[in-house]
Amino acid sequence: MKADTLNGQLDPLILATVADEPTHGYAILQRLKERSSGAFDLAEGTIYPALHRLERDGLLRSAWSTGSGRRRRVYSLTRAGSSALEVRRREWRLFAHAVEAVMG
Amino acid sequence: MSWLEDLSGELYARGVTRRDRVRIVAELSDHIACEPGCEERLGDPRALATSFADELATAEARGSAFATFGALAVAAVALAVSLITLGRFAHYPGYSNGLSTALFFPALLGMVVAPQVALVAGTLAAWRALRRRWVTSLPAAEIALIHRRARVALAAGFATMAGVEFYVVDFSERLPAWWLGLAGGLAAAGGFGLWVAARTLARARTIVSGAAGPGGDIYDDLPVVGSGWLRARPWLLGALASLAVGLALGAFEAHAEHSVLEGIQRGLVEGLAAAIGFVLLGRAIGARPAGQSTDRGTSRSE
Repeated sequence: MKADTLNGQLDPLILATVADEPTHGYAILQRLKERSSGAFDLAEGTIYPALHRLERDGLLRSAWSTGSGRRRRVYSLTRAGSSALEVRRREWRLFAHAVEAVMG
Repeated sequence: MSWLEDLSGELYARGVTRRDRVRIVAELSDHIACEPGCEERLGDPRALATSFADELATAEARGSAFATFGALAVAAVALAVSLITLGRFAHYPGYSNGLSTALFFPALLGMVVAPQVALVAGTLAAWRALRRRWVTSLPAAEIALIHRRARVALAAGFATMAGVEFYVVDFSERLPAWWLGLAGGLAAAGGFGLWVAARTLARARTIVSGAAGPGGDIYDDLPVVGSGWLRARPWLLGALASLAVGLALGAFEAHAEHSVLEGIQRGLVEGLAAAIGFVLLGRAIGARPAGQSTDRGTSRSE
């Protein structure tokens, strides 16, 4: 699935991935790939502007940690992020249900 | 040159601050360290830097528009308190009783004309930012329009606060010390708020967006005047706006002073000032259409 197919859906996918546990960019990407069985074929760099945007919007927070001897930025969900994720989940289920009903 | 060095250079060329550059490069460095050789899958460093810069420029432009509006609100309170206390408790001394007309006229322009310019430009900047708050990457031309509006608003705000200070000096021998201290202090506080907003705007303007698209104009912001007919006749909008300002403020003056003659005088002056403002600043604040502009930002290296 190409990046443009994901247009508008990357943000909630990232929120859903981070919701499990605080983690860093590379791990977020790996989880996205694993959970989608490799369906999401996006340029890996695109995840970082999205992470920064979600943090600016107050949906994620981040902090430096030192893992594997390297500095890495670890992201976690804020309270506003949890609420936004729930809203997007409901919207997506309604949308998916409607598409399924039409497409069969 | 390595992928990370390319990325860092591209971010620098787009005016991304050192703090943000260091963070972005550190995150991507960690990503590459997790899986050496994955640079190709990260994408083109130029495209990634553009993506970061476009989003940052948009966020900073919005922030600077809101900061400008907030600072103007503080300045407006400073002006209002000064004028209300002057009228109620300190008594207006009459323009001919000041130290010098060289002080009085800048004070008059600053306290009467500049606030109107600040109100219009600041409101338009904040309204555009608010109206487009869900857009992650605004076109460079639209970001430039927000910047220009904020710049005009801040300049007018500074002129307003300077006008109050001129007034304080002009009537320093006529007005009570408590009022001089109050008005002077409030104008200084208002000026400080504007200075903070100006710094926010200066920081925002360093980031170069490369997103193509039209900047838009006042007809996009105010759909009520957005007919194609009026858009094709921008000078008519200027004339109508000047007439409306003249009539409104003339009627206000006539009512306040119980004098039709003073109302007509004030209305003419205000209408003329609005027309001059439209001619001088109309294009800067998008009140006059700028044509089919699809300005793109220019990088530092260009």
